[in-house]
Amino acid sequence: MLLKLSFSSLYARLVTVGMTILAISVSLMLYMSVEKLRTSAYTSFTDTISQTDLIVGARASSVQLLLYSVFRIGNATNNITWESYLDLVSKEEVDWTVPISLGDSHKGFRVMGTNKEFFSRYKYRGSQSVSIDKGYLFEDLYDVVLGAGVAEKLGYKIGTSLVVSHGLQSFSDHDDQPFRVSGILKKTGTPVDNTVIVSLAAIEAIHVDWSTGAKIPGQLTPIDEIREMDLTPKNITAALVGVKSKLTIFQLQRWINEYPEEAMTAILPGAALQELWRVVGVIENLLLGISVVVIFTTLVGMAAIMFSSLSERRREMAIWRAMGASPFTVIGLLMLEAIFISILSITFSVVLLFCVLNLLQPWIDYNYGILVNIEMLAIKDMYVFAVFIIASITVSLLPAIRAYWFSINDGMTIKL
Amino acid sequence: MKKNIYYSLLISAMVSVSAAEETRQVDKHEHGVGELNIAIEGNAVDFEFFIPGADIVGFEYEAKTESDIALVNAALEKFEKFDNIFSLPESSNCNLVNSEIGINQDDDHDDHDEHDDHDEHDDHDEHDDHDDHDDHDEYDEEAHNEFVAHYSFNCGNIKEIDRISFPYFTTFPNSGELEVQFVSEIGSTSFEVEGDEPFIDLKGKI
Repeated sequence: MLLKLSFSSLYARLVTVGMTILAISVSLMLYMSVEKLRTSAYTSFTDTISQTDLIVGARASSVQLLLYSVFRIGNATNNITWESYLDLVSKEEVDWTVPISLGDSHKGFRVMGTNKEFFSRYKYRGSQSVSIDKGYLFEDLYDVVLGAGVAEKLGYKIGTSLVVSHGLQSFSDHDDQPFRVSGILKKTGTPVDNTVIVSLAAIEAIHVDWSTGAKIPGQLTPIDEIREMDLTPKNITAALVGVKSKLTIFQLQRWINEYPEEAMTAILPGAALQELWRVVGVIENLLLGISVVVIFTTLVGMAAIMFSSLSERRREMAIWRAMGASPFTVIGLLMLEAIFISILSITFSVVLLFCVLNLLQPWIDYNYGILVNIEMLAIKDMYVFAVFIIASITVSLLPAIRAYWFSINDGMTIKL
Repeated sequence: MKKNIYYSLLISAMVSVSAAEETRQVDKHEHGVGELNIAIEGNAVDFEFFIPGADIVGFEYEAKTESDIALVNAALEKFEKFDNIFSLPESSNCNLVNSEIGINQDDDHDDHDEHDDHDEHDDHDEHDDHDDHDDHDEYDEEAHNEFVAHYSFNCGNIKEIDRISFPYFTTFPNSGELEVQFVSEIGSTSFEVEGDEPFIDLKGKI
C-alpha cells in the first residue's frame, strides 16, 4: 500500500523526479567510469611488460626510460653506443639481452629496430609472448613486421610496400629504400600493436646516406651496395635485459648506473611503473575526490528538490493524513521516495556506464592503448551503491522531518 | 642539503679542468633518503641498504673526533643486529646466512675499520697532484659518507613473507624515507616507506 502510494506520488511528479534521477545517475556514472578507467589503466600498464629484469638506456629518469622504451611515449634523451651494449652483454650476470632502436616512424606509428630475439623474449600479461598471425618474421633486410593495430588501421597486408619516415614528425622519407610487409603480429593489447618492427640492420641501412643527420643531397648508395655493407648498429636506444639470478639484479643495476665510459641508467620495469603510479595516483585521487563531491552535490540537490516540493505537497499530505496515515507514515513515505530515486538512479547509471564504455572503448584503445575491460560490476561497486543508498536516506531525513512537522501542525487543514 | 650539492658541483668542476677528456659523473646523494634493495629467489632473500650518514649519525664528514667516531661505531653496531633495522614474519622461518656492514661505499664493500684509515679530504687534494685520473676518482671525491649494509637470509617458508617492518625508523630517529626496490620471480615493484607507516606489504608479490 505504502509502496504503491509512494510510487504513484513519484509518478505524478515525473518530470522533476526524472531530472533528479538523471542528475544523480550522471554523477554516479562519472564516479564509476573514473574508477573503471583507473583500474583498467593500471592493469594495462602493468601487463605490458613482464619477465624483463632490467631496461637499460641513456641516463634518464626511470619513469622516462620506461615510457619511451616500453610505451613509446615521449623520446629518448640519448642513445647508447653499441660498444657499451656489448660490454653489458658480456657481463656474467646477464642471461639475455634484446637491443631496441627507436626514432623513426611510419604514418605516425613508431618504427622499432630490434632482433628476432625480441619476439621470444618480450613477454606481456605474465608469460604471454608475441606471436605471428600472418606471414613470417623478417628474413630479408627490407622485411617489416607490423603490430596488429598498424595493419588494421592502415589496411596493410603481407607484401604491402611501405616507406619509413625519418624522425617522428618529419616530411623526409627514406623513400629510396622501401620495405615489404613480411609478417603481421597477433593483437596483444600492448604498445607492440602500434609498432612497426624492422631489424636493427635495416635501421642502420636506411641511415647510410644520412650520416650528417639529414639526407646528403645527391648521395644515393645503391641498395645492392648497402646489402654488402657491414650493418652492425653504431648505437641503440635501449636494451631489455634478463639476468641469470634475481639476486644479482641490483649488482648489475649498480654496475650499469656507475658505468664510467657512458652515462646509462638501468631500471626495474615494475619498480619504475610503481614510481609512475605514485605520481599518477595523486591525479587519480583528485578525480575520485571530484566525483565523490559531485555525488554529494546531487544528493544535496535531491534534498533541495524534496524540500521545495514539500510546500506544494502539503495538500497531498493532508489527504494522506485524512486517509488515516500517521505522521510517521509521512516520514516513511518520503524516505521510501528517496530509496526509489536512488535505486532507479543506480540502475540508470549502470546502463549509462556500459553505453558510454562501449562507445568509448575503441577510441580509448586506439588513442591511448588502454583496453578498458567492460565486465560486470565488482563487489566494491556494490559497497558504493549501498553507501549511496544509505546516504540518500540520511539526506532525505531532513525534508522528511519537516514534512512530519507540517503534517502534525497542519493536520487536515492547511494554513497557507 | 643544497649547500652540499653546490660543493660537490664545485669539486667536480675543479676536477673537470684537469681531466677534460674524462667521462665525468658523480653519484646522486640525497639526505633523508635511504635506499633499500630486496631480491628474492628460491629460498634466498637479500637486503641491501645504502643510507646517507646524515640519516644515521647526523653528519656526513669523516668522523675524526672521538665523539664522532663513537657515534659511527655505535651506529654500525646497531646495524650488526638486523632486528634493529627490519623484521621478517616469524612464520617465514628465515635465518641470517651472511651480513656485511660498512660505511662508505667502495667497489669492495669496506668493513668498519677501513673507514678510519683513509681520509677523504686528502682525496680532494689528490686531484691536484696527479693527472692520470683513474676510474675511482669519480667516486672517491664524494665527501658524503654512506652506511652500507648487506644481509642474506635463507628461509624455510619464503611465501610467508607477506610484510616486512622497519624498526629502522625508530632505531635511527634522524632517518627520513626509504626508497625500496623489490624483485622476486613474479616481477619487480617499488615502495616509499616512511616512519609513520614503517612497513611494506608483500602479499601476492613473492
